[in-house]
Amino acid sequence: MLTRTAPASPLDRLKALPRDARDTLFLLVVIGWVVLPQVGQLPWWCTLLAAALLVWRGVLALKAAPLPGGRWVLGLLVLTVAATYASHRTLLGRDAGVTLIVVLLALKTLEMRARRDAFVVFFLGFFTMLTNFFFSQSLATAAAMLVGLLGLLTALVNAHMPVGRPPLAQAARTAGWMALLGAPVMAVLFMLFPRIAPLWGIPADGLTGRSGLSSTMRVGNVAQLALEEGIALRIRFEGAVPLPTDLYFRGPVLSQFDGREWRPLLPRMTPGTASLMPPDGLEVGGEAVRYTVTMEPNNRPWLIVLDAASSPPSAPGLDAFTGGELQWMTTRPAIDLLRYTVTSHVQYRAGARGRSAVVAPQYRELPPGTNPRTLQLATDLVRRAPAGAADKPALVRAALDLLRTGGYTYTLDPGLYGDDTADEFWFDRKQGFCEHIASAFVVLMRGMDIPARIVTGYQGGELNGVDGYWVVRNSDAHAWAEVWLAGRGWVRVDPTASVAPGRVGSLARLRPAQNAFASALGNVSPGLLASVRQAWEAVNNGWNQWVLNYTQSKQLDLLKNLGFKSPSWQDLSLVLIGITVAVTLAAIAWAKWERSRQDPWLRLLARVRQRLQQAGVAVGPTSGPRQMAAAVTARFGAEGQALADWLLRLEAQRYARHAPAALPALQREFHRLPWPTPAA
Amino acid sequence: MIAGVLNPVAFARQRFRSWWQARLPLSDTTTLTQRNVYILPTRPGLMLVATLLVLLVASINYQLNLGYLLTFLLAGCAVVGMHVCHATLRGLTMNLAPPEPVFAGQNAPLRIVLTNDRKATRYGIGLAVLDETHEDHWSWTDVPGLGTATVSVAFQPTRRGLHRIPPLTAETRFPLGTFRVWTVWRPAAQVLVYPQPERMPPPLPEGEPRSGTVGTARVALAGEFDGVRAYRRGDPMKLVVWKKAAKSDELVSRDAQQAQRRELWLDFSRAGPLDADGRVARLAAWVLQAEKLGLDYGLRLPGQQIQPDTGEAHKRRCLEALALC
Repeated sequence: MLTRTAPASPLDRLKALPRDARDTLFLLVVIGWVVLPQVGQLPWWCTLLAAALLVWRGVLALKAAPLPGGRWVLGLLVLTVAATYASHRTLLGRDAGVTLIVVLLALKTLEMRARRDAFVVFFLGFFTMLTNFFFSQSLATAAAMLVGLLGLLTALVNAHMPVGRPPLAQAARTAGWMALLGAPVMAVLFMLFPRIAPLWGIPADGLTGRSGLSSTMRVGNVAQLALEEGIALRIRFEGAVPLPTDLYFRGPVLSQFDGREWRPLLPRMTPGTASLMPPDGLEVGGEAVRYTVTMEPNNRPWLIVLDAASSPPSAPGLDAFTGGELQWMTTRPAIDLLRYTVTSHVQYRAGARGRSAVVAPQYRELPPGTNPRTLQLATDLVRRAPAGAADKPALVRAALDLLRTGGYTYTLDPGLYGDDTADEFWFDRKQGFCEHIASAFVVLMRGMDIPARIVTGYQGGELNGVDGYWVVRNSDAHAWAEVWLAGRGWVRVDPTASVAPGRVGSLARLRPAQNAFASALGNVSPGLLASVRQAWEAVNNGWNQWVLNYTQSKQLDLLKNLGFKSPSWQDLSLVLIGITVAVTLAAIAWAKWERSRQDPWLRLLARVRQRLQQAGVAVGPTSGPRQMAAAVTARFGAEGQALADWLLRLEAQRYARHAPAALPALQREFHRLPWPTPAA
Repeated sequence: MIAGVLNPVAFARQRFRSWWQARLPLSDTTTLTQRNVYILPTRPGLMLVATLLVLLVASINYQLNLGYLLTFLLAGCAVVGMHVCHATLRGLTMNLAPPEPVFAGQNAPLRIVLTNDRKATRYGIGLAVLDETHEDHWSWTDVPGLGTATVSVAFQPTRRGLHRIPPLTAETRFPLGTFRVWTVWRPAAQVLVYPQPERMPPPLPEGEPRSGTVGTARVALAGEFDGVRAYRRGDPMKLVVWKKAAKSDELVSRDAQQAQRRELWLDFSRAGPLDADGRVARLAAWVLQAEKLGLDYGLRLPGQQIQPDTGEAHKRRCLEALALC
């Protein structure tokens, strides 16, 4: 019978690879790891090309085959540039840049002939890591990139171990140590490096792909948001939390309707034009609600506040102004995590008195010729009302009654709406969600000559029991209506609540289908899923609060804690320079100390030599104790015997197998020795 | 001077280098300290700085706090890397083993023992002879913690004589390649360079009658000084001419009596119509040839005479005399 040797396992074969192949494969894996998180953001051809190039390079490394010629690389490069231009219509800017860098990185591996040629790959790799942060700065991304950074450093260290085939673990250990020791440098620089405003304005492409409320509402828009579990706001209330039914967070107010799309009254509001708008005559009552909002970046100018905030949301460096419809806005879209504190009043009246009581005619306008059946319905409702057109509150109540009793249902999947959305909602489909309902409702109100507008924002929220923050998600996005009633001003009406009482207040949601893992976990233990999620989100929130939201204001707070009265960024630079100088001085001191730190035995010998030279005994700079002893005996005879003996013991201390005397003892004796007096 | 006109920068650098190297103390053992270890960023190091700047600008412009973290962590690693790089050489002891004599035109190998008194391994230390072309002749080694490593480098002496060993250099770029840390060391040892033997020397000169003896059985043929006879039982192994034995498939012994009668003198004044170096080269070739044949030979040089003898020590003595004459 033949005995068969066991086939080598893939791991063994990997271990047996020649060093160059092993190093190249490792680097390719690290590159793949760094590119992987942004695959979703790259054009499909870029992902495919990069993957193909990396695999190709890996196969070449395994076969120890020669690399393709420069013509190949050049050809692929030209192809890439052309494809990038075709995909992005430009070669500049963030998205095109990321696409180019990823392909360049993969291409460069084909030019990586020697270990030391790999520097360009390393540096492109570091830059590719940064491009990941354009799309996500989450904790998970940070962890993935930390692994990537350690991988790149490991490959770099390994490339500088030219001897033999050192284990990668050794290079990884060195890299890990360097990162660990480099972390304090990172922490100090991160805390103190002055945060500067973008050098050439806010990049226009900074935030594509981030979700948030839209500045316009085309029926069907909010639906996408409603399906998204992403977090929009985090809120920490100081003191009592308002009732769930009062948790209306105001976003864009939409008052202009063209039949298809709702728009803000002024398409583009700037601080200059905002001041021209009549103030809303906000009167607040009841207890003030104080809270801090941490808003996820959404590239929109609105500062989401709880209805209604009478004073601007405040944050250092934040320039807030009112848009005139109780909204608060900022001059700069929120392109990064934004944190502000607000004081709101749940009880308020707006636009009831004064100049603002004269309601602009735009709030009654409807595009002519649209939604004829809804206008007919409005006429019917007015005719049926006991007090006719005079009793506006009764008309609103009648419309809400109709919603409640008319067989209307709330669904996240109402199908596609046609042109006359209000007609379709009221008469044909009778189903929809907040934006259909609110839109149809406002059209009906305007049909009854009641000033009305749509408010979009968020409704509700959820307490994270772990860190005490209220979390408002994109799925909490909501649209409701406000109608203007004489003497009461703008009154919030949430028609969705009439259709689906559960949608508002009780915080019950129509949930989109969960993924298999979550639903499996949910089946086993619904509580566990919730608490795991809460814990994870609490960790994420900590990350947001401490790392992502570390802004100039926090830097200045830090300085205040350090004792600066009114810190500025110049002080930051000063502290940074001070720390640098201190560390440098410490390093110099240490270097001096280390320089002087000689072998104590040699130091003692040097002192002996000096003493003897002073006494006129000729001892060379390299003579050892025995030679010195000989010189002493030759010069002083019996008189120098004690000194010579001591010198021989000094020698024995160093070189004998069993030292007769310890060094400290010899050092002590040094002072008591009968040193010959210097020759006159 | 011409070089100075053609390329003043290179000329100045060359002058500076020789002035600076002349200042270094001569020693066969050197311990690297902060005084004699130098550090400068490499080209990739400058590339890393540029990369860091680009990362910083990107982080500022897109307000990426994670970008700041990445940039600063990399910068921190580079700073640590600089320290690690310097510490790789600092504290290392280099010891040059006494060099063996070599023939001119051959590579003179130098063995250098590196001693590491630290617990951690020192990686990626390269040694080279410091000359214009050392770029390609690095010998790389790792020195284990509390251990030693031996590195061989070589240089090619061109002239015979006693040569000072050219300055040696040690460098490392471990761990990141962003810094080059190096030292220059002038060993005190000298290497003796034997003359390059003539490649196709004429046959050995005729033996001279031993002074004071009468040439009884003169051998007719010139060059019969290496007269051989068939091997007889009892001949000492020393007398067997192995070379001839290998050719003729039978053992032959040197005729001791012949050798006793005639003496081989390699004489400078009779080494042919050549210049001094040519004669020295020929004599060197003859010395090697005679030694190979196991002959007794003497060497006469102007003002110097080495009595006939044989053996390795004798050969060395003769070659040394030739090297230094």
